[in-house]
Amino acid sequence: MTKPVSTEFLPHILEPVGESVALRAKGLDFFYGKTQALFGVDLPIVRNQVTALIGPSGCGKSTLLRTFNRMYDLYPGQRATGTIDHEGENLLAVKDIAKLRSRIGMVFQKPTPFPMSIYDNVAFGVRLYESKSRKDMDEVVEKALRRAALWDEVKDKLQASGLSLSGGQQQRLCVARGIAVEPEILLLDEPASALDPISTAKLEQTIGELKSDFTIVIVTHNLGQAARISDNTGFMYLGRMVEFTPTSDMFMKPQAQQTQDYISGRFG
Amino acid sequence: MADIPLTAPRPTRAASKGAWFDPIFQFACLSAATLLLAALGGIIVSLAIGGWPALHKFGLGFFTDTTWNPVTEVYGAAGPIAGTLITSALALILALPIALGVSVFLVEFCPRRAAQPIAIAVELLAGIPSIVYGMWGLFVLAPWFALHVQLPLMMNIPAGSVWEKVFYGVPNGANIFTASLILAVMILPYMAAVFRELFLTVPAQVRESAYGIGCTPFEVVRSVTIPYVRSGMVGVIMLGLGRALGETMAVTFIIGNAHGLPQSLFDSGSTLASTIANEFTEATGEMHTAALTALGLVLFVITFSVLAVARALLLRQRQD
Repeated sequence: MTKPVSTEFLPHILEPVGESVALRAKGLDFFYGKTQALFGVDLPIVRNQVTALIGPSGCGKSTLLRTFNRMYDLYPGQRATGTIDHEGENLLAVKDIAKLRSRIGMVFQKPTPFPMSIYDNVAFGVRLYESKSRKDMDEVVEKALRRAALWDEVKDKLQASGLSLSGGQQQRLCVARGIAVEPEILLLDEPASALDPISTAKLEQTIGELKSDFTIVIVTHNLGQAARISDNTGFMYLGRMVEFTPTSDMFMKPQAQQTQDYISGRFG
Repeated sequence: MADIPLTAPRPTRAASKGAWFDPIFQFACLSAATLLLAALGGIIVSLAIGGWPALHKFGLGFFTDTTWNPVTEVYGAAGPIAGTLITSALALILALPIALGVSVFLVEFCPRRAAQPIAIAVELLAGIPSIVYGMWGLFVLAPWFALHVQLPLMMNIPAGSVWEKVFYGVPNGANIFTASLILAVMILPYMAAVFRELFLTVPAQVRESAYGIGCTPFEVVRSVTIPYVRSGMVGVIMLGLGRALGETMAVTFIIGNAHGLPQSLFDSGSTLASTIANEFTEATGEMHTAALTALGLVLFVITFSVLAVARALLLRQRQD
């Protein structure tokens, strides 16, 4: 038996003031079959800012991320209760999930280029929803690759296979693919954990530039990364949202004991 | 327990206990591998030697001539070769879409709890002895096919049309098409099972990425899953083809066993394997035996090449 956390549990959720909220989770519970992985998570995601989710392995931060675009729907037995409010609509009740996912994009831990050319990787998602002329599509692809800071490296080999790129380039290709469909929200699940330091720096720079156009939620194990790139940080522990504050507050004066222990490196 | 010392002198060891056995073990494994390759080589050589009289006498004509006559001792294998290739290709065309459907359903749509039992059932189907399929084909499929497909077609096709030629045949249900049908049923579970395994090798994150930018399940299968395993799929198709090419009993039961080139879809015919199975017991003449052995050699070479290509493609898939 693990020690029951709930009795002494008091989340510190600092409500953002004067900001527009793109997503709001309320009382969110999540289940893998009979195992509960999220317990009454409350969280506001501020529009056009970067929100980092941190916490030790298994705390539920990736699970939380995967509820935002209903990725868990692919797997029978996984379910979420509570609400995720998105412009007055509860995401958990949305019927057209494919369309929802085109508005809330996702980039994964490992680069996942599709088995097609660099150009087609980026154009793929756009073609699902719009038919564009060759010239318009060229522009969309170039714009997405530029915004993902990959254009200069691939502009001469757009027809080469996406799989031929290096790991860091592949990951930025996946970012380009994600933003080409112009989602409102971009979910990043430990996007840099498989990358070398230089690629990581490039990716972080890209994320910083993207937030003027997109709302970004990033799950990361790297506290430095959270501190560098995020505006707000949520700390999760054992399936609960323990603390949510502006990032500088989180690292300067954490409120909860567990947050303090984690960011000072006492566990995790 | 306190008197057990926690530190002890490190024991000295002369040699590891099993060391003497190691060379013997290596030699045994090497022998097993050598034996297999030697057997394979032996089969090729003996087929070539046994078939040589026929190949020597008829030359290239052995592959192009359609006459197969044990009475006059004239042997041309064009009929069985064509029969083998046609039935196998038809079987593949019939089985491929269904095998794809089954495997995509199992991987993409079937509830996980049901998927595993169904997948096992499919694999078990692949293991049913071919003679069972053959009997079912002869006693059930052929009569039904003759009564409900062949006869109505013959009655209703306007005389003189092209279709009359395509569907020409004795209405007994034993023909090229029903043989292909049986072959298709036989290779279907096998192909479905291997397709499923292939689809399961697509990393979950790649599929999720496709869903993540708004794909429907069909779009994921068409644009990501299938292209991801493309060369492996060709390999599976070739493996299915290899099985269909060499299948003997089921086909012998139902193909009608007529020599010569099949003239229509519903004409009787023969394959390399069915001809050998039918005639080996009655082959008394030296040339007849040699001709049948040469058929075996042809079948061996065709099947071996198809399987080799299949393996090469599957290997490439694994390396990608």
